[in-house]
Amino acid sequence: MGNNILIKFIKDHKFSYIIGIIFMLLASYIQTLFPKVLGYTIDILQTNGFNPKSVYINLVYIVLIAIGTFVCTYAWRNLVIGNSRRLECHFREKLFDHFQKLSPEFYNRRKTGDLIAYAINDINAVRMTFGPATSMAINGMVVCVISIYSMANTINWKLTLLSLLPVPFIICIMFYIGNIVKKHFRKVQETFAAISDRVQENITGIRVIKAYVQEDGEVKKFQKLNDQMLEANLNMVRVSAYLAPLIELCFTISFVLNLIWGGNMVLNGSISLGGFIAFNGYLAMILAPVLSIGQVITIFQRGMASLDRLNEIFNVKPHVKDGESRAEFPAQSTIIITELSFSYPGSDSEALSNINLVIPTGKTLGIIGKTGSGKTTLVNLLLKMYNVEPNKIAFNEIDINDFKLDALRNGFGFVPQDNFLFNASIAENIKFFKNIYSEEEVVNAARNSCVYQNIMDLPDEFETILGERGVNISGGQKQRISIARALIKNPEILVFDDALSAVDTVTEAEILKNLRKVRKNKTSIIVAHRISAVMEADEIIVLEKGKISERGTHLELLEKEGLYHEIYKFQFGAS
Amino acid sequence: MKSTNFNSAHLEKQKFTRLLKLNLPHMKRILLASICVLLVNGALLIKPYILKIVIDDILTKHVVQKGFYSLTTLGILYFVVVALSGFFGIAQVNLINRAGQEIMRDLRGKVFQTIQLLPLWYLDKVSSGNLITRATNDIESLSEMYTDVLISLFQDVFLILGIIFVMIMINVRLAIISFCVVPVMFFLVFLLKTRIKRNFRKMKSLIGRINGFMAENISGMKLIQIFYGEKEKKEAFAKLNSEYFKVTSFQVWMNSFLKPAADVFQSLAVAILIWYGMGKIANQTLQIGVLYAFTTYIKQFFAPIADLADNYSTIQSAFASADRIFELLDQKENLEDLDSGISMEHTKGTIEFKNVWFSYNDEDWILKNISFSIHEGQTAAFVGQTGAGKTTIISLVSGFYKIQKGEILVDGLNINDIKKRDLRKNISVIFQDVFLFSETIGKNISLNDDISNFVIGDAIRTSFAKEFVEFLPEKINEPVMERGSTFSAGQRQLLSFARAIAHNPAIIVLDEATANIDTQTEILIQKAIETMSKDRTTLIIAHRLSTIRNADKIIVLKQGEILEMGNHAKLMEKDGYYKAMVMEGVKEYHTHIY
Ligand SMILES: Nc1ncnc2c1ncn2[C@@H]1O[C@H](COP(=O)(O)OP(=O)(O)OP(=O)(O)O)[C@@H](O)[C@H]1O
Ligand SMILES: Nc1ncnc2c1ncn2[C@@H]1O[C@H](COP(=O)(O)OP(=O)(O)OP(=O)(O)O)[C@@H](O)[C@H]1O
Ligand SMILES: [Mg+2]
Ligand SMILES: [Mg+2]
Repeated sequence: MGNNILIKFIKDHKFSYIIGIIFMLLASYIQTLFPKVLGYTIDILQTNGFNPKSVYINLVYIVLIAIGTFVCTYAWRNLVIGNSRRLECHFREKLFDHFQKLSPEFYNRRKTGDLIAYAINDINAVRMTFGPATSMAINGMVVCVISIYSMANTINWKLTLLSLLPVPFIICIMFYIGNIVKKHFRKVQETFAAISDRVQENITGIRVIKAYVQEDGEVKKFQKLNDQMLEANLNMVRVSAYLAPLIELCFTISFVLNLIWGGNMVLNGSISLGGFIAFNGYLAMILAPVLSIGQVITIFQRGMASLDRLNEIFNVKPHVKDGESRAEFPAQSTIIITELSFSYPGSDSEALSNINLVIPTGKTLGIIGKTGSGKTTLVNLLLKMYNVEPNKIAFNEIDINDFKLDALRNGFGFVPQDNFLFNASIAENIKFFKNIYSEEEVVNAARNSCVYQNIMDLPDEFETILGERGVNISGGQKQRISIARALIKNPEILVFDDALSAVDTVTEAEILKNLRKVRKNKTSIIVAHRISAVMEADEIIVLEKGKISERGTHLELLEKEGLYHEIYKFQFGAS
Repeated sequence: MKSTNFNSAHLEKQKFTRLLKLNLPHMKRILLASICVLLVNGALLIKPYILKIVIDDILTKHVVQKGFYSLTTLGILYFVVVALSGFFGIAQVNLINRAGQEIMRDLRGKVFQTIQLLPLWYLDKVSSGNLITRATNDIESLSEMYTDVLISLFQDVFLILGIIFVMIMINVRLAIISFCVVPVMFFLVFLLKTRIKRNFRKMKSLIGRINGFMAENISGMKLIQIFYGEKEKKEAFAKLNSEYFKVTSFQVWMNSFLKPAADVFQSLAVAILIWYGMGKIANQTLQIGVLYAFTTYIKQFFAPIADLADNYSTIQSAFASADRIFELLDQKENLEDLDSGISMEHTKGTIEFKNVWFSYNDEDWILKNISFSIHEGQTAAFVGQTGAGKTTIISLVSGFYKIQKGEILVDGLNINDIKKRDLRKNISVIFQDVFLFSETIGKNISLNDDISNFVIGDAIRTSFAKEFVEFLPEKINEPVMERGSTFSAGQRQLLSFARAIAHNPAIIVLDEATANIDTQTEILIQKAIETMSKDRTTLIIAHRLSTIRNADKIIVLKQGEILEMGNHAKLMEKDGYYKAMVMEGVKEYHTHIY
């Protein structure tokens, strides 16, 4: 998947790449003219009584060459390196897209700080590979080919072959070291991600750390990671440091052999001294690009290590399967749940077992039950946050799996148990960044969730920017803003997952009154621990260990004298 | 204008000295590395010299080969020189990198420590992405300068100085002519410098924003999917990303410009040199050989300069990052000092608020003239509308924020005078927003403190977290996912309750600690709290009024003011706001039963 993105990008940009490479070759070519022109000029200067005009002409050539080199280099760098920046941003966007498709199952297992490291750090390593490293490699190869060609052409192909003898070894060394570098670099990137994760978690949990005075312990733990980072980096350096000297050493062997053998050939006259010097010149010339190719290999392998990491992410398929046939959520839908059992992936105990439930359209269902009894699980399944087996949940007799996910979720307004607000204005949070609501709708939603007055008391009213996760407002204010966010959708089905837990009794009563008004003919599901929040419902179910243990209306349940009655007694009885 | 200029130049210098100072503890390694650089450079000079002997003496002059003076020994010598220079090269790379990485480690550690000690009022405002970036990408970019640039920088500077020396030795005038383009180059770089710097600063802050955006949206991903906000989020990200692209494009442009520009200057210098030398050669005051040699020197002179031009962006990028890192480290005055003040091994637990006024932003009063006192071992409950300031009061008790007016006394001492470490050690808070770390359950309860498994087990039992923990495959060693995402909200709350119990504090603070917990468990927990709170001061915030009926003191808040205070019976008699809140529940009781 990651590779496909890369290939597609290169294909889409092949013209700019090709033009860039042409400019690159052109620049190399023009550069080789410089010594020649300089040579002519010196030759002219050497003749007695030279004609200044011809020198001037050559000087003009030199300047032209300079300008030509400048233009070509400028062009190819802009094209090739510019493309690598484009690639970087493209990759990042794709990564974010991909993140958006992944299911809660993925996010339950992976950590935020770890994932954000991919977006900057790993993608950066990939960019280095496809920008600077690629151009360096092409440049190096061009120079190599030119030198080898001139070497074989001008002097002696036997000597050339001899001097190229170490090349296979060098290639082996490059790949060998490159591979080790790749392995070590992976470790570096992993440690980097771990550090990013530790810092991230630390900042989000800072209140707990401060309250329990854990600063020293956290620093100590961080130092351990910090040491790992040091080791990982040094391990990589230790290996890559060998590359250049080893390459040079290999070349030196052939160089020295040449020196001795070629020197003897000069002495017994089988080659000319000039040829010998030129030959050595070419050999020296090859060394630089080969060394730079060696360096390219390490950058390249780093990029590959990061690309591997990215591929692992890109290869994760969304766990929740998207439905195909239904792109529209039915209005006035009756929810039918039949024999629904569910266990979380990777867990062998059932979080829900054998749930049978019908919620006729326009009715309100109350859910009450012990901590961990499966209330959140049940409402999450209605939204298909996890895969649901076929024929278990249906809306108006259409199976949940037939719906496109967006259509399904569009039918719901959901207030989650833990309130997550974004670092944006209150209005944006209520609208969920969508521009489809009028100001009046926003105000109404805020009024109905009893948070209007609170918002108006804030310095910038609806434009007040919330801190991360809404740190700068109170728990109840957060909860009611997230209620407003659900109400503004005026959805077919409204789900409150323990969404009145952080408001006082007076406000709770007020919100429930408003709900009855705005949800008159629409379905609502209210999960709560407080009886007062569910007792108005048309049906109330009591969950116990994933099973429905009692069901009925408020009065019916009271008569049963079961668990519900007991809770009721405690919450109201003693006063 | 002038003064700000001076100021920025001053800051620049300061940053430079600060960066240099970081190197001081590693001077030994750096010196050794420099010696290695010198040796490697020496090898660079010796190699052509050996060749010269071979060509001049043996091949041209046909000196008789004997002993040292033979093709074979010279060849071997050449090989040895290369091998030695390779060895020193490796040593130098390792030395510099060790020094560099150790500096980075120390810096990273310092950044982390600073983040730890930042006060909440600061953290509330700053974006976490920004802070994360400083500990990760910014350090990385400094480290890049060390590993990739510093060594070649050394070498380049050596080379340049050496060549300048040689050129001046040979012919001062020609040397000056050769260098005449250098000021132009400097001028050009100077012109670009502010733009480059500004650009890098922007780029770094964008990286921070991208990190922040990613972090926020990954943690809120479930919600985005539920609300089908993918499209909007994608657009927002694309916007941010393209802003970043724009900024990097400038850098690409600059990179494409600087290096070939150095080449142009090289050619120009050669052209000027020849143009100048032409007349001199014509009237025989200059030897052609010298002129030719100078063209080669110019080439050698400009090669490292082109290198520097290439590395210029890495250096500037590192500087921009260094600015950001130092900016954070400069928060020193703001940092919380945990260890100054009167030490207080064991708090008795009396808390007194005397006419406390508090505001988060120095403008809107959140708490207005709050006074109350809670005696040792008492249980006090705070009730009131949401947003009344209950959570605020308890964060003040932990000393998270400073009050503007009035006084808070713990055990009769002003809270500002007490050692923060001791104060907080004596208080266990269960926050309204539960936070769990990605560690095991046991570690989440003990945190970094030395708490035995026995005590942890006890805490789990007391908090009734045992009911679900014992069904987990690995019991208390079960790993907790990020923020406890695989537990139910109530279960998370039970764990954070266990955490508070295990720390055995003198003061225990429960901020809506049972909001997500069912009534039966709550009853049991309440019994536990009652036994626990016998000998400790307990502060409870609750909206379910049934949970606080037995408190010694109920403090009723409304919009930052205390409306009523007293125990349940007294407040019910009073027929005030508290009674109205209680009756809200009872009203429903009446309408539905009868
Ligand atoms: N993502 C998950 N992976 C594995 N197990 C899970 C996951 N989420 C919840 N569980 C487990 O499934 C059970 C039901 O959890 P659920 O969140 O539905 O409870 P709940 O009824 O909403 O409880 P609460 O009243 O505390 O919110 C719990 O035992 C919980 O530990
Ligand atoms: N970090 C903060 N920065 C700025 N204002 C804040 C911050 N925290 C809370 N506030 C504001 O202070 C007021 C009191 O908030 P607080 O959290 O103390 O309320 P609360 O009584 O705990 O309410 P709830 O019952 O909803 O939790 C609210 O209006 C809130 O918007
Ligand atoms: Mg739940
Ligand atoms: Mg609160």
